[in-house]
Amino acid sequence: MTALAPAPHAATAASVAERAPKHRPSPERIAAGLTLAALVVASLFALNSLGISLPSMLESWSNAERFFTRVGSISFPEPLELVQLTALTLGIVVTGTLFAAICSVPIAYLAASNTTPGPGWRAAARFITVFTRALPDVVLAMVFVLLFSLGSLPGILAIGIHSIGMISKLFADAIEQIDEGPRRAVRAAGGSKLQEFTSGILPQVLPSWVATVLHRNDINLRGSVVLGYVGVAGLGLEMSHAFKSLNYSLGLGVAIVMFALCVLMEIISSAVRRAMLHGGRASGGPLAATTVEAAARRPWTGSRVRTTVWGWVTAALLIGAIAVCNIQWGDLVTVWAKIPPVAAQFWPPSFGAYDWTRMSGAMLETIAIALAAAVLTLLASIVIGSFAARNVAPNPGTRAGARFLLVGIRGVPEVILAIVLIVITGLGAQAGTLALAFGGIGLAGKLIADSLEEVKGGPERAITATGASRFQRYAAATLPQGAPAIIGHSFYLLDTNIRAATILGIVGGGGIGYYLLNAGQGSNYGVVTAIVLMILVTVLAVEGLAMWMRRVFR
Amino acid sequence: MPSPVIEVRDLDKRFDRTLALQGVELTIDRGEIVVLLGLSGSGKSTLLRHLDGLETPTSGSVRVLGEEVPRLRGRRLRALRGRVGFVFQQFELVPSLTVLENVLTGSLARLRGPRLGLWSYPRRLKLAALGHLDRVGLLDRAYQRADTLSGGQQQRVAIARALMQEPEILLADEPVASLDPESSEQVMALIREIAMDAGLTVVCSLHQVDLALAWGDRIVGLRGGRLVLDTPTEGLGKAEVMEIYGRVATATAELEAIETELADASSEASPERAEPLAEGAGR
Repeated sequence: MTALAPAPHAATAASVAERAPKHRPSPERIAAGLTLAALVVASLFALNSLGISLPSMLESWSNAERFFTRVGSISFPEPLELVQLTALTLGIVVTGTLFAAICSVPIAYLAASNTTPGPGWRAAARFITVFTRALPDVVLAMVFVLLFSLGSLPGILAIGIHSIGMISKLFADAIEQIDEGPRRAVRAAGGSKLQEFTSGILPQVLPSWVATVLHRNDINLRGSVVLGYVGVAGLGLEMSHAFKSLNYSLGLGVAIVMFALCVLMEIISSAVRRAMLHGGRASGGPLAATTVEAAARRPWTGSRVRTTVWGWVTAALLIGAIAVCNIQWGDLVTVWAKIPPVAAQFWPPSFGAYDWTRMSGAMLETIAIALAAAVLTLLASIVIGSFAARNVAPNPGTRAGARFLLVGIRGVPEVILAIVLIVITGLGAQAGTLALAFGGIGLAGKLIADSLEEVKGGPERAITATGASRFQRYAAATLPQGAPAIIGHSFYLLDTNIRAATILGIVGGGGIGYYLLNAGQGSNYGVVTAIVLMILVTVLAVEGLAMWMRRVFR
Repeated sequence: MPSPVIEVRDLDKRFDRTLALQGVELTIDRGEIVVLLGLSGSGKSTLLRHLDGLETPTSGSVRVLGEEVPRLRGRRLRALRGRVGFVFQQFELVPSLTVLENVLTGSLARLRGPRLGLWSYPRRLKLAALGHLDRVGLLDRAYQRADTLSGGQQQRVAIARALMQEPEILLADEPVASLDPESSEQVMALIREIAMDAGLTVVCSLHQVDLALAWGDRIVGLRGGRLVLDTPTEGLGKAEVMEIYGRVATATAELEAIETELADASSEASPERAEPLAEGAGR
C-alpha cells in the first residue's frame, strides 16, 4: 500500500504536464518581443560606447569645478538689451505658434475621420502632419535664414511650420472626440458645412485646442534657443555668439535667463489651462429682466467681465507679440523669386567631403544617444513613477513627494540643460545624453505613475489576500498590468529622444547634428539635404516602430 | 381642402444587412398632429430622419413641402431643412454656449456664413430668439451656459431653437424619452400648444402607447420597419386600444420568435400574410 502510493501521483503529474497546452504566442508578438530585447541590448551597448559610467560622471564633476574657477562669475547683457532680446524671443515663439495654430485648423478638419470630405483629403492632411513633425525646426530655420537673410520671419516660419504637425494631430484628435449631436442639430436646422463647424464643432473643441496651443508654445520656447545657433535673432543667437567667442560668463547668464523664462511660461500656461478647465463652468444666476426688450441687454456678471477682460488681454498680448517681431511683410512677396535658386543649392543631396561610413557613424551615434538616454530615463522613471502611483506608494506623503519631484523635473528645459552641461563639463555626447535622460524623467515618470494608477484593483487585492508582501503585490499584480502602457510610453520616449538627439549635436552634443550645423555654416547645402534625408528616414522608422509596438503590446 | 405636406411612397431603407424600413406609405396633411408609435428599433427615427433629408432612401419617394427630398442637394436641401424643425431625444445643445446662442443657431439656414458668439447675430434675430425663449418660459436663463439647465429645460431650449427656424413642420424624435414624468408632461403640452397656435404640422415619435393616445390626433404604428397601424385617436374603443398595444408594443424578442414561427408556417403563402398576430394579443 505504502509502496504503491507514490505511483499514481507521479503518473498524474506526468499526464498533467503532457496535457497542459503549449504556450504559443503569435509570430507577430514573438517578433515584437525579439525587437524589444534587441533594443534593450542595443541600449546597453549604447551606454557603454558613449562611455557613460560612474567614474566618467565623477570626472565631469571635477571638470565642472575647474570650469567655474576659470570662468569666475556669471554676467548678463545690459538691462535694456536683455528686455529687447527677451521680448523678441517671446514674440517670435508666440507668433510662430499662432501661425501654426491657424494653419492647423483646416488641416485638422481634413484629417479628422468625422469631418474629412474624403479619403484622399485625409491622406494628404495626414501626410502634412507627419512630414512637418519629422522635419526638424532647425533645418527649416537654416533654409529660411537663407531665404529671408535677416529679421524674425525665419524663426517664425520655422517654428510655425514644424509645429503644424503636432498641433494639427491633436486638433484632429479633439474633433474626433466630439459629441456629434449638436452638429447634427445644426445640420437638421439647415446649416452649411462651415456653420456646422463653427456652431456645432468649434465650441466643443475650443478648450482642448487652447490647451494644445499653450502646450506647444512651451515646447517652442524651450526649443527656440537652438534656432539661435543657425542665426535666428533673440536670446539663442546672443547665447551662441557668447559661447563662440568664449565669453562663457555671458553665455551662462543668457542660459539662466532663458531657463527662468521657460519655467515662468510653464507656470503661466498651466495656470491658464487650469482656469479654463475649472472656471469655464461658472455661470450667472437667472436674469431679473421680465420683458424681451430688457433681456436683450446682457448683464455684466462677474464671469462675463472676467471673460471679456481676459479676451482683450489675450488679444493685446498676441498683437504685441506680432508687433515686437517687426515682420517685414514685403519679404513674403519678394521671397518667391529667391526660392528656385536657393532650392537649386539644396539639390542634389551629397555627402560632399564626408564619406558614407562617417555619416552613418554619426547617425548611429545620434541613435545611441537617444537609446542610452531612453534607458536611463526609464530606469529612473519606473522607480520614481511607481512611488508616485497611489496604489504603490507606501504612504500619501511619498506619493506627493514623488509627484512634486516629477513636476519639478518637467519644468527643466532639457536643451538648455544640455548646453550648460556640455559647456561646463566639456564632454559632448555624454553630457548631452545625461541632459536628455534627466529631461525625460519628468514626462515618462508622470505617464508611468498614471498608468500604474489605472490598473484594475481586483488582482492587487487578490494577491494581498494570499498573504503576499507589498513588494510581491507590486511585482505580481501592479507591474504586469501596467507593462503594456509602459512599453507604449517607452517608444514614445524613444521617438521624442531621436528628434531631440539630432538637435543636441548642433549645440555640441555629438552625433549627426554637428555635421548638419557644419554643412549649413559651410554652405554645403547638398550635404544638409543628405543629412536631413537620413534624419527623416530614421525618425519615420522609429515612429513606425513605435506605432507597431503600441499596437502589438496593447 | 387640406393639402398633403408629407408624402412617403414605398420607402425602403437598408443598413448593410438589416432592413430598417420596408415599403412605408404615409401621407400627412397640413396642421395634423401625428404620433409615430413603436418600440426602439422599429424604424421611427429612421423614418423621421428621412423627412429632414438626414438619411437617403434605398428606394422609394419622400416628398416634403412639395420637394422630393432625396433629390435635393446643397443650398436647396439646407433651405428645406430650414423649413422643418427637428427636436432630438438628447436635446443636442452645445453645452459650452449660452442658452440664447443655442436658440440662435436655429436661424443659421437664413444667414450666410459662419457665426460664433452672440455679437455675430443681428439684433433683430436676438430679439426673436428671446421671444421664443419667453414662449417656452426660459427667458430668465438666456445668458446661462446650456449645460447648467435641467433636462426638461434643455429640451424646451431645443424647442425654442426649432421655433427660431419659423418652421412649417416640426419633427420630434422621442422628445421626452430622457426626461422624468413631470418634465415630460410639460414638454409634450408645450409642443402641442405651440403647434396649435402656429398651425404647425407635427410628427412626433414615441414608444408609450398611453402617452400617444392622450396626445396625438392620429397614430401611425411601426414594427420591424413596416407600417402596421394608421388610425385617428378620436373615438377609439377599448378593444381598438388593446389592439394597438398588441400590434405595436410587444417585446422585440417575443415578436421575433413569433415572426420566425409565422414565416415557417406561411412559407407557401404570400409574404404579406406574415404580418399580423394582432388578433392573438388583442383577445
